[in-house]
Amino acid sequence: MSLLAPWFVAGLVAIGVPIAVHLINRERKTVVPFPSLMFLQRVPYRSVRRQKLRHLLLFALRCLALVLFVAAFARPFFKGGRSVDAAGGAHERVILLDRSYSMGYGDHWKAAKDSARAAIGALRPGDLVTIATFANDAAALTEPTGIRADAERAIDRATLSAEGTRYAPALKLAGDILAVSSAPTRDVVLVSDFQRRGWSSRAELRMPPNVGIRTVDVSSRDVADIAVTSVSTDRGSAAATAPVTVSARLSNTGAAPKAVDVSLELGGRAIGSTRVTVPASGSAQAVFPAATVPVSVTRGVVRVPGDALDANNVFRFTLAPDEAVSVLVVEPVAARANQSLFFRRALEIGDAPRFKVDVRRVDSLTPRDFAGRALVVLDEVTPPGGETGAALRRELQDGAGVLFVPGAVAAERVPKEWTPLMQVGLAEVTQRAGPGGFTGARIARVSYSSPVFEAFAAPGSGDFASVHVFQHRALRVNGDSGVLASFDDGTPALVERSVGLGRLLVWGTSLDESWSDLPTQPVFLPFMRQLARHAGRYSDPRPWFTAGDVLDLTRHGELLDGLVARAAPGQPLPPIVLASPSDKRFRFSDSVRAVPLTEAGFYELRGPATAAGSGRPVAVNVDPAESDLAHMDPAELVAAALATTAAANGTAAGDNSTPAEKEHAQRVWWYLLAGAFLVLAAETILSNRLSGTVSA
Amino acid sequence: MTPHAIVPGTEFLDPAILSRIGNLEFVAKVVVEGFISGLHRSPHLGSSTDFAEHRPYMPGDDIRRIDWRLFARTDRFYVKEFEAETNTNFLVILDVSPSMRYKGTSETGSRVSKLEYACFLTAALAYFSSGQRDRVGLATFDKDIVDYIPPSARHLQQVLYALDRAYRAGATRGPGEQPPAEVTREASGRTPDPDAPLDQQATGRTMLLEPLRKLSDAVRRRSIVLLISDLYQDPRVVFDAVDHLRGRGNDLICFHVLDRDEIEFPFTEAGSFIDVETGARMPLVPSYLRTQYKALVQEHTEQLQRLARERKVDYARFDTSQPIAGALFAYLGARERFTRVR
Repeated sequence: MSLLAPWFVAGLVAIGVPIAVHLINRERKTVVPFPSLMFLQRVPYRSVRRQKLRHLLLFALRCLALVLFVAAFARPFFKGGRSVDAAGGAHERVILLDRSYSMGYGDHWKAAKDSARAAIGALRPGDLVTIATFANDAAALTEPTGIRADAERAIDRATLSAEGTRYAPALKLAGDILAVSSAPTRDVVLVSDFQRRGWSSRAELRMPPNVGIRTVDVSSRDVADIAVTSVSTDRGSAAATAPVTVSARLSNTGAAPKAVDVSLELGGRAIGSTRVTVPASGSAQAVFPAATVPVSVTRGVVRVPGDALDANNVFRFTLAPDEAVSVLVVEPVAARANQSLFFRRALEIGDAPRFKVDVRRVDSLTPRDFAGRALVVLDEVTPPGGETGAALRRELQDGAGVLFVPGAVAAERVPKEWTPLMQVGLAEVTQRAGPGGFTGARIARVSYSSPVFEAFAAPGSGDFASVHVFQHRALRVNGDSGVLASFDDGTPALVERSVGLGRLLVWGTSLDESWSDLPTQPVFLPFMRQLARHAGRYSDPRPWFTAGDVLDLTRHGELLDGLVARAAPGQPLPPIVLASPSDKRFRFSDSVRAVPLTEAGFYELRGPATAAGSGRPVAVNVDPAESDLAHMDPAELVAAALATTAAANGTAAGDNSTPAEKEHAQRVWWYLLAGAFLVLAAETILSNRLSGTVSA
Repeated sequence: MTPHAIVPGTEFLDPAILSRIGNLEFVAKVVVEGFISGLHRSPHLGSSTDFAEHRPYMPGDDIRRIDWRLFARTDRFYVKEFEAETNTNFLVILDVSPSMRYKGTSETGSRVSKLEYACFLTAALAYFSSGQRDRVGLATFDKDIVDYIPPSARHLQQVLYALDRAYRAGATRGPGEQPPAEVTREASGRTPDPDAPLDQQATGRTMLLEPLRKLSDAVRRRSIVLLISDLYQDPRVVFDAVDHLRGRGNDLICFHVLDRDEIEFPFTEAGSFIDVETGARMPLVPSYLRTQYKALVQEHTEQLQRLARERKVDYARFDTSQPIAGALFAYLGARERFTRVR
């Protein structure tokens, strides 16, 4: 039962008025001095008490009338669903057991399992229960079953994961299970430590109507935990053998500062240890001495001593050789002075990533010049033909990028072999400068969804509209090419097309200041670097993954360097095996090119001829965000979940009744009001009788 | 003895009328003279007689008491015996405790307090006795003796003066007013235990035993002792105290003075009843208690009567709303008996 206007309940305070009238005021206002109470005190005590409680029935009637009035105005109503405990018939329950690694804190996991077993034990014969565990994702361990032993065995089998907490998938799973249930009463028992980070207000839930959510909170108060949340590495120079300085960031969720010894291992060798004091509810950084690491991929581990939550006391990472992105710029035989200077300097100025730019004249090109190149820039030269061109196209197919800047190159000079790959027609050169003080064309539209321009999406982060273009090549887009940027006359400025594993991009104006003032604009440098990263399919090396991430080889092809040759889409994938820390094997196939990383530790990618232990290590750590043990009120979670459900259903939480049913459920207030008037009538009769008695 | 009905011709002895007279001596005079004039038509009392009987002369008798006329007729010596020897001591012991200052608050209650009523009565009796050449004295007490004027033929004015003080002290504290601070202080802090013996409950109220014990030491000559009190104590305790005086050969008269409210308990409104002597409070609904209260008062009175009878003490209860003639009748009747048996 609930109340539509619960504030009226405050009116019960008014009961104090008759109490004061009957018991307090009367005594205080009428004081009768009497010579002696000697005889009055000899009257049996019970008689005296009765005098004090005189008109008790009258008093009770007045109080009852008041209570009935208050209850009527509070508008009580009965929810459509029967309560779980009171309802008869079968009941279906879904027990959601939090297995995120934060449940490893202290004895939370044991308490959670005990609570889940207790929730099973509370069921009656004929009831159904489903055991589901959740961390980042949720999974049902059993089908809806009435056999308690099966459910308890599932709980016994449940183990802690290395993932974080997300309540939305778990509640969604429970909702899906209960949505198809025919049981008259259904509920969800959520057993968790209720970390605040596990719930997002944006989560969309579709809990079925009339499903209750009961929470079992196994969290502790005053939690304290030291965690290694991240690691950063810094190489002294670009040399592969340069010493590496490792820094680790530690966090403390406790209410008191704590000093810990932090140690570093690289390649299985202890590098050093340092003592760091982590402030209360804060973080600190531990910096280790610089160490020289092997040229190959090296495993690194940062540790802190064990505490209540061990899972986040170890942080694993890999150190890969710092290889620069190789870029080849091909210039025409009669190149302008400094034709590729701006482009080259823009790439070479940064180190994340580092670009290594080589410049060749087109007449000196050989097929070997394309080997190992991430990006080939054809700066106002036609794509090469013959054997050289074939080599470039192979590299393009294998994942290299080609940036074609046609400039004033005649369209008819482009070799026919490139035509099906480019799908871009080269029209005339458009002059946009004139004697009337015209300042040139503008780059009017850019696609911020493209990785090339996404860095400029935020306001004030780059203004392409200020670029003046004096000349540009009119591009005609054919087929499936994508236009990433356009001039103000609608002519494409940057066109992209995927070719095999590589990308082919065409830029409509020059890379130097001869056709536009782009090189003198602030956006030039980040734009060129983003263009080179995207065209060269560069992806940041991942020193570590987080448990729950998916290892997608199509996105992290660099992990296969040195193991197997890359395979283009549609081509058979070489036999690659991923061994988990617990030595579970996952075999990649043409249909399975992504594997979820669920364990914390070092995975190992092995090629066909790779021995165990010599493969490419992949570090996986627990989700550092899970180390934030901030607690949320379970009622808040339930309210939010049911509110989301109610909003989705367009009704009150858990209420799918019709207006007639609602009216029926709320009609009790009429009875209460009628009862109040009846009680008042009885009170009037009684008080009149008592008055008559006293007068008599 | 129950309160007497108003005797015709004695209506002016109504306490409400007497209370309008400020001079207590004048009140006494009015009462006594009016009372005596009323007696002319009274069939109950005759004047006292001097001669009682003759007895044979015994050696040592005063020869002046020989009846020579009888000797002339009988030639034998007889001595005259007189029934009443006047000049007896008359001591009034008056309770002036706070409870005696009670004046009815209900519609049926008396218009004078018990103390005022007792003062009128004492003054009248003292005036009357003095007229009989008795030696009159007065002792007032509450928890102890407050004032003591030993019986003397010349102490009437002092007695009336002491009564006047007590009367004015009672008159200045009206009904409903709090008891004296010292009494309240003593009573505050604890509520009497209803299950405790009554003599223990009496802590903080009038204590008869000690004042009467002291008075018994002070009264060296046999006297007629009149105790006027509301007797809010266990009857056994009352008469244990009275026994001290009786043991000295004194003749005791006990006037139990109560207001109509104390007898009828006519209150209707529920409220907190405060014991004016102890300060104890009791929330009560009188209509539910009235029957039991009256039964207890009646039982108390009957027990007092029974004990008085056993100890040969004259006992009478008076309602202060009634004229004081009844009290005078009671006194004179008792005095007559006492003088007869001497």
